[in-house]
Amino acid sequence: MQLDTSARPSIAGPNASELGGSIKAGSGKSFDRKNRLLFYNRFFKLACIASAVFVCLILFGILFLMFRTGVLTFRDVSPMTFFFSTDWTPEDDRYGAFVFIFGTFALTLLTLLISVPLSVVIAVFLAEVAPTWLRNLLRPVLDLLVGIPSVVYGFLGLTILIPLLRDITGTNMGDGILAAAIVLTIMVLPTISRVSDDAISAVPRKYRDASYALGATRFQTIFKVTIPAARSGILYGVILGMARAIGETMAVVMVIGNTPQLADALFKPTSVLTSNIVMQIANVPFDSTWNNALYMMGFLLLVISLLMIVLVRLLQRKGAHS
Amino acid sequence: MKWFKSLSVAALAIALVSTSVSVAGAASDLKGKIVINGSSALLPLTLQAANEFKKLHPKVKISASAAGSITGPQSVRKGIADIGAVDWDASQDVPGFKKFDGQVAHKVAIIPFAAVVNKNVKVDDLTTKQLQDIFSGKVTNWKDVGGEDADIIVVNRAFGSGTRVNFQMKALQGTEFISKGSNYKEVKSSGDMKTAVETTPNAIGYIDLVYVTSNMKALKINKIAPTEANVVNGTYKVWGYGYYMTKGKPDGATKAFIEYIQSAKFQNGSLKKLKFIPISALK
Repeated sequence: MQLDTSARPSIAGPNASELGGSIKAGSGKSFDRKNRLLFYNRFFKLACIASAVFVCLILFGILFLMFRTGVLTFRDVSPMTFFFSTDWTPEDDRYGAFVFIFGTFALTLLTLLISVPLSVVIAVFLAEVAPTWLRNLLRPVLDLLVGIPSVVYGFLGLTILIPLLRDITGTNMGDGILAAAIVLTIMVLPTISRVSDDAISAVPRKYRDASYALGATRFQTIFKVTIPAARSGILYGVILGMARAIGETMAVVMVIGNTPQLADALFKPTSVLTSNIVMQIANVPFDSTWNNALYMMGFLLLVISLLMIVLVRLLQRKGAHS
Repeated sequence: MKWFKSLSVAALAIALVSTSVSVAGAASDLKGKIVINGSSALLPLTLQAANEFKKLHPKVKISASAAGSITGPQSVRKGIADIGAVDWDASQDVPGFKKFDGQVAHKVAIIPFAAVVNKNVKVDDLTTKQLQDIFSGKVTNWKDVGGEDADIIVVNRAFGSGTRVNFQMKALQGTEFISKGSNYKEVKSSGDMKTAVETTPNAIGYIDLVYVTSNMKALKINKIAPTEANVVNGTYKVWGYGYYMTKGKPDGATKAFIEYIQSAKFQNGSLKKLKFIPISALK
C-alpha cells in the first residue's frame, strides 16, 4: 500500500528516489525492473481485493437465492402461521415450521450444554495436566476425530447409542433430541477441545508463574487465571462447534425420529430444520408451496447460524474489553 | 444448449447424491441419448438393462440416476430426463400426488411389499383392518391384536416415498397414516427402514419384499404370506407396478430401450435375478 502510493509519481519524474537505489530508473525499456515490480504490486493487490469481494459475493448470492425462493412461501402461508404454528402437514397445505425452528435451537443449546464443559475440561487436561508423551499422543487422536464423516457418527448412533439409551432409560424408542445431542456432542467435542487446548497453551507462562507466586493452588490458577485469559480462544472454539452442530444433517436425521412434533421431552421423536429439509426435499413437487417452504427453512437456518456467530463475536469483543 | 443440458443433469445427479452411470459405445444403427431419473427402487433394474442395451446398441448413450420417485415424472415434465422411473402410475392421481398430464406410463416390473415387524413381536398374521388400525394409530398395543402387552412402535417412510404410496393404497386401502405420537417415527429410505425395524423392539414397518432379511419378520396379511408365488397366483395383494414415464409416446432410442426392458428375454432373465417379478407373470 505504502509502496504503491509513494511510487505513483515516480513513474513520471526522475526525481523519485523513495523506492531506493536498488531499483534503476530504467534504461529506456518500457518494462524494466521498476515498472515490473509496480505491475506485480498492483496486480497482487487487485487479486487480493477480488478474492475478498468474491467471497462476499458468494455469501450474498446464497442468501439472496435462498431468500428469493423461500419468500414465495408467504404468497400462500401467512408469516404468523409459518413461524408460530406447530402444525406441519404439507400434504394438507398446513405449513407451520415452529416445531423445526424450536427443535434447532433446543438441539444446539442442549449440545453446547453437554459439550462445552466436557471440552474445556479435556482442553485443560491436555494443556495443563497431561504429561508430554500423553499430550503428544492425544492431540493427533483428537485431530483425527474431527475428520470422521458425520454419517459414520449417525450410523453408530442408530445402531449402538439408541439401543443403549433404550436399555438404560426403558423408553420405547430412544429416538429424540437427547440422542441427537449426544451424537452431536461427540462430533463437536474434538473441535472445541482442540481449539481451546491451543488457546490455553498460548496463555503466557508468566501469568501462571505470577499466580503461583501469590500462593494460588493449581486449581485456582487454572480456573481463575488460565481459563479467563484464554476465554476468547475458547469462545472461538465454541463458535466452530456450534456452527457444525446447527448445520449437521446426516447424523441428526438418523437418530432424531423425524416426526413434526414439538420437542417437549428428551425422548420424543421430533425434527429440526436440517433433518426435515433432507427428509422431504427429494420428494416435493418443484414450484410448490411445500418446496418454497423448505427453501425458507434453509434460509432461516442460514440466518440463525449467521446471527449466532455475530452474537458470539460481540460477546467475545465485550469480553476482551473488560 | 446441449452441453448445458448434460451439465445440468450431471449437477443434479451430484447434488442429489445419487448413483449414476454413463454408458457409451461404438457401432450400431440406433443412435441417441437417454436420460433416466427417479425411483431408487427401480435403479438396479435400470442399470442392468442399460448395460445390456448398450451391448446391442453401442451408439446409444444412457445415463441413469435416482433420487426419489416423484423426481422421475418431474424431470420428464421439465425436460431434464427422457424417462422418469416411478413406483406408481404417475399418469393417474394417487394419495398425495396429482397426475402428470401428457405423460405415458409404461409398466416395467412388479414390486411386492411386505409389512414387517421386529423379531421380538409374537404376532405373525394381521388382517387389513388390524393393519389400518395400527398405522392410523387406533390400536397402540400389541395385546389388542393378539400379541404381548407392549406399545406398538410405528415406523413410517416419509411422505412422497413410492413404497409409502403403494402400501397405503394396497395394504391400508387408502387409510391415512398417523403423523404424531411418542411411538412414531419416519425414516428416509428402505435401508433406514430395515435398520429401524431390525433394531427397535416392538416395531412395525413396511418394506420392499427384496429388502426383507432374516433379522426381521414379514407378516402374513389376511393369512396370506408375502411370497413371490402368492403375488403371481393373485392371493397376496400388496404389490405395485414400477413404471417408466415418458412425455407423450416415446420414439427412437427411448422407445427401443423401453421395449428392451419389457422384452421376455430381459423380464425372465436379469429382472428375475434382481428379485423383481416379470410383468407378464400377471395378466
